[in-house]
Amino acid sequence: MADFFAGVDIGSTMTKVAIMDGGIVASVIGPTGPEHRKLANKVMGEALAKAGLSFDEITYVVATGYGRINVPFADKQITEISCHARGIGSLLPAARTVIDIGGQDSKGIKLKDGRVVDFVMNDKCAAGTGRYLEVIAEALGVALDEIGRRSLEAEREVAISSTCTVFAEQEVVSRLAEGIPVEDLLAGIHKAIATRVYGMVNRLKIEREVAITGGGAKNIGLVKALEAKLGFQVLVPPEPLLTGAIGAALLGRDIVEEAVQSGLSLTRSERRLREATFFS
Amino acid sequence: MAEEKKPEQRKKRRTATEAASKVAPMVKAMIGNVLQAKEEGKPIASTFICCCYDEIIHAMDIVPHWVENYAGICGAKRDAQRFLEKAEAGNLSRSLCTYALCGLGFDALREELGEMPPEPPWGGQVKPTVMLGSGQILCDPRNKWFQAAQHYMPDVPVCNVGLTWPLYEDDYDYHEVEGYYIKYFVEQLRGLVEFLEKYTGHKMDWDRLSELVDLTDRTWNLVWEAYELRRAVPTPMGTGDAMNTMVPMVFMMGTQEAYDFFKDLYDELKQKVADKEGVIPDEKYRLIWGGGLPSWFALGDFNYFNSKGAVFPVETTYRMIEATYNYDMDLSKISDPLEHIAWRWLKYWTYWYDKARKRPGSQPEVERLIQYIEDYKIDGIVMHEAFSCRTWHVGLIWQLNQLKKIYKDIPSLILESDIVDISSYNEADTRARIDAFIDVLEAAKRKGK
Repeated sequence: MADFFAGVDIGSTMTKVAIMDGGIVASVIGPTGPEHRKLANKVMGEALAKAGLSFDEITYVVATGYGRINVPFADKQITEISCHARGIGSLLPAARTVIDIGGQDSKGIKLKDGRVVDFVMNDKCAAGTGRYLEVIAEALGVALDEIGRRSLEAEREVAISSTCTVFAEQEVVSRLAEGIPVEDLLAGIHKAIATRVYGMVNRLKIEREVAITGGGAKNIGLVKALEAKLGFQVLVPPEPLLTGAIGAALLGRDIVEEAVQSGLSLTRSERRLREATFFS
Repeated sequence: MAEEKKPEQRKKRRTATEAASKVAPMVKAMIGNVLQAKEEGKPIASTFICCCYDEIIHAMDIVPHWVENYAGICGAKRDAQRFLEKAEAGNLSRSLCTYALCGLGFDALREELGEMPPEPPWGGQVKPTVMLGSGQILCDPRNKWFQAAQHYMPDVPVCNVGLTWPLYEDDYDYHEVEGYYIKYFVEQLRGLVEFLEKYTGHKMDWDRLSELVDLTDRTWNLVWEAYELRRAVPTPMGTGDAMNTMVPMVFMMGTQEAYDFFKDLYDELKQKVADKEGVIPDEKYRLIWGGGLPSWFALGDFNYFNSKGAVFPVETTYRMIEATYNYDMDLSKISDPLEHIAWRWLKYWTYWYDKARKRPGSQPEVERLIQYIEDYKIDGIVMHEAFSCRTWHVGLIWQLNQLKKIYKDIPSLILESDIVDISSYNEADTRARIDAFIDVLEAAKRKGK
């Protein structure tokens, strides 16, 4: 019988689950709501249904992401830094630097021999995160999943001087009133966010290859803007949103294998999905 | 009308040493003494941490009031916002030093009300007799703060004491010019004595000053010896406690109370080392607090590090002493008390210069980090960038990068917040960073096995 491992990544905007054996057996991606505990239960149930597995058949569950402590059935919580690193180590082993652009924060991770040697995080300011793009998309009346493609249609790149999300929104609205095409503004916005992220991650001294993960990696305009800043092409995993969940599942497998090899017993959570509430 | 919600009740931070737990009452008593002195009409001098002239103030029977300390207390009590907002309302930028903003906001409010603001932390900050600046540490508020305070207290005289030390140059031997600096230093101190005699009416007791200078030398050495005991594995005391024990070091120097405090601390640490009693039972990672003032409202983060198996046996912040017997001169031969003070401090500020010059690419601050990393068997380095304090924080990232370049690639964590302004702080995000850093430390340990 195969061993199955699950990774549950509760991010600030999206929740992701990956169930793995040798490869991905099933995955679920959905929005994060206010009640993480109920949500964790729900998405895990959906992933199990997709995989045709019962929860008892999952050998080990690792939770990650900023909501990781609210996964009551997880055997272990591991930070998203480690999980992204492990995920990229498996998906794109040539990567030495990971840039993760999430909904509310962005991170840079430096890898060496498959382990994290350094990291930086921006969690102070929406600039450089998915939230920045959401605000701008709304201000310009363009769907969020369209802004990247539209930015590539620009004839020229309008300089957006504000790095603050609030001021950038004001600047974009006033430039729009001047008659500047939406595409040109979007090109400027994507350059601004790429510049900010690059500045932060370069504190780690960026080394090739660079992999982009998180929701930001699904925005082709942002990926191109980052490539322009870096001066070379970046690597993007097939489903960048799942990187942390895949890494979590793989770290779960590592833990089990290490325990088996060393003859140690595993500390595991109660083996059932609980209908958890804030009172449990 | 909706009932006003009670503020969140916070638990007192747990300390590892008995000595550290005694500090809060000591500070409270120190501030109480200032309030009492005000009532009794004694002269009060507002001044700064490591002003270099503590003994002069005490020898002249003037009561010091430490303005940064009081701002830190407001921060630690999470009651600084109203004073910061008052300063901001007076057109002072929020990006200035938040110690200064807090102190200025407090002074502005007190002078406007004609009495202490309601329920001031630990009784409040009084209007002083004089205000004494101090040019050392290259901190601009240490000269500008009191000038700004004169907007609210125009009748309180200010003496800006310019105390400098030679800049570090890797191709230049500072010893060639240190004599000139000492001459200037002593002139400044002599001017301070004249200023204090004029504005307080108190005369300098030179014999008393010599006694206090000697007491301070002995206290410095005792602090150094006590802190060196923290090299032990497991370490008996961490930086969280050192952020308390810094109080007698930098606010009570030149008093018997400070000496007695560090004698107790030394004895306690020695016993803990003998008993192998550490800050935590299972010490996994030894860290250095490698720069930056702490967030006074978030000292509980040190306990959070402890809960993850990490301890801080050493820090560069507030370790404002060196053993005088380690100096490259015999300080005991300097009998003039003002010159003695000048040499003691100049040798402290330049203590790492010679070592730095021997390692290409190094700097005194980097050299100090390297020395502590080796002496205290350090696995990782943590720094704090406090946005409002340029003086202590500019250059930290450079130091870290240079350390990694010329020494070794040690795991590091940069925390970002402020010293007083709690609006810059997010506990969940800070702890997420700490968690990730612990992962990095663990990965580094595993690789080293």
